[in-house]
Amino acid sequence: MNKVSDLVLEVVRELGSDQENKALVNADLETPLFGRNLDSMGIVFLVTDLEARISEEWDLAITLADERAMSQNTSPFRSVKTLTQYTQTLLDEAKTSA
Amino acid sequence: MTDWLTHLQSFADKPAIVDERGTFDYHELVNQIQSFRRHLSKTIDAGQVVAILSDYNFYAVALFFALYEKQAVIVPIVSTRQAEIDKRLAVVDADWVLELNGETLNMTPFASAESHSSQPMINALRTQKEPGLVLFSSGSTGEPKGMVHNLARLVDSVQGKKPKQLNMLVFLMFDHIGGLNTLLNSLAMGARIVLVQARDAEAVAKLIEAHRIHVLPASPTFLNLMLMAKVHERFDMRSLKMITYGTESMPESLLQKLKKAFPKTRLLQTFGTSETGIAQTTSRSSASLEMKLDDPRVQTRVVDGELWLKSDTQIMGYLNAPMDDFTEDGWFRTGDLVEVSEDGYLRIRGRIKEMINVGGEKVLPAEVESVLFELDLIADCMVYGAENAITGEMVCAQIVLAPQADPKSVRRLLRQHCRARLSRFKIPARIEFVDQTHFGDRFKKKRLS
Repeated sequence: MNKVSDLVLEVVRELGSDQENKALVNADLETPLFGRNLDSMGIVFLVTDLEARISEEWDLAITLADERAMSQNTSPFRSVKTLTQYTQTLLDEAKTSA
Repeated sequence: MTDWLTHLQSFADKPAIVDERGTFDYHELVNQIQSFRRHLSKTIDAGQVVAILSDYNFYAVALFFALYEKQAVIVPIVSTRQAEIDKRLAVVDADWVLELNGETLNMTPFASAESHSSQPMINALRTQKEPGLVLFSSGSTGEPKGMVHNLARLVDSVQGKKPKQLNMLVFLMFDHIGGLNTLLNSLAMGARIVLVQARDAEAVAKLIEAHRIHVLPASPTFLNLMLMAKVHERFDMRSLKMITYGTESMPESLLQKLKKAFPKTRLLQTFGTSETGIAQTTSRSSASLEMKLDDPRVQTRVVDGELWLKSDTQIMGYLNAPMDDFTEDGWFRTGDLVEVSEDGYLRIRGRIKEMINVGGEKVLPAEVESVLFELDLIADCMVYGAENAITGEMVCAQIVLAPQADPKSVRRLLRQHCRARLSRFKIPARIEFVDQTHFGDRFKKKRLS
């Protein structure tokens, strides 16, 4: 897809290797996250790592887990794909307002 | 002359106080107290509220005890920020402001000098003809609280100590309960007190070496700054017989690091609050965070894991706050969570206010900090809670890296290390690398929230 999906996949795979979860180590865009491969704590770690990486790579501060994320019709944490899309949306907003 | 002054007089030409001007013996101290007292006699009455604006030096100590002899209510103010000074003067409704410039004393009437404070606690002290002391809380949350102590009781509590040949470093002074306690105890024993001017690790280490200091009272945050500056490798600190630590939780692994850096020094935990005074304690050992409060003047209870204290030296009350933390029968709820061992030792787990609630599971910062301090890559750290939409709160850590560490690899190493040592909900989710953790001017960590 693009650089954002690469970064999301990298963070997901890294977390997978830390948690010894094969599905996450071999993750692709369709890999399900919350409810299947990650519980709430898992999502918290994934999201904070992703935020940190985004800040390192692009010097942009975004908050992926907030009320807005929780109230989306489709949870951003459902799969790698939904997380990538939601991250992209927030990044676009952050860039325009920056 | 009070018993206290007679007691100080008995140490005659033993060295009492060392500051940047030099060494003053007990005889000189008593003379200076008497001289200030005569000077104050013309203007200041017993029961008046008198603020002292000064640094930590010999003359300030003498002035403090001159006011004690005068039965004044003393308000020590060390801050140099005018707004803060004004706020405190207003809270105490001061009668006089005394400023020291060397040995020169400037006295300025503050309120209408004729009218005495109508504050009931101050009235009570005046009626009982006893000196008072107003201390302010550090104000980590909200307005600093003005606490009224009966100073006669605090001074009486240290009398009857056996004289000792000790060189004490006094880090904080009479504007802080721990500092006052060290000062009073040291004087009661006829010790030699070295006052710290520049409060950084390097300067303190130099003083320890130069004055062959035996006892260093400090906070865990400051002791870690000493380790980070590696002062124990660069200065001769073999004179140190004892390091006492208190005012905030000591992470277990930091204690072990200190034990390694100062193998011949006893490490003793002190415990006290501005509200109750400092209790006498004994640590189970230098390597242990377990301690006993063995002080005949202090009673303890543990209620729902929280330590409650009742002491002879507790405050009369607050000038600007309700007595919410005291029960009706006079117990002070310290806000500290403790574990009690079978043989009655206490171990402080942390502050109730600092508890982090991760999806219903409770985490205390000190436990996580202790695990982080086990890593040599980490020079300093501070753990705190932040809001999180998924779990309510999450554990966050600010990390000061050791010089050789690379932040990119550390994040993962740190998580791996924590996974092996902590339940999952306790592992820091947000990790931030900083140059310095945040602490106040009394070297106590200020946790973000």
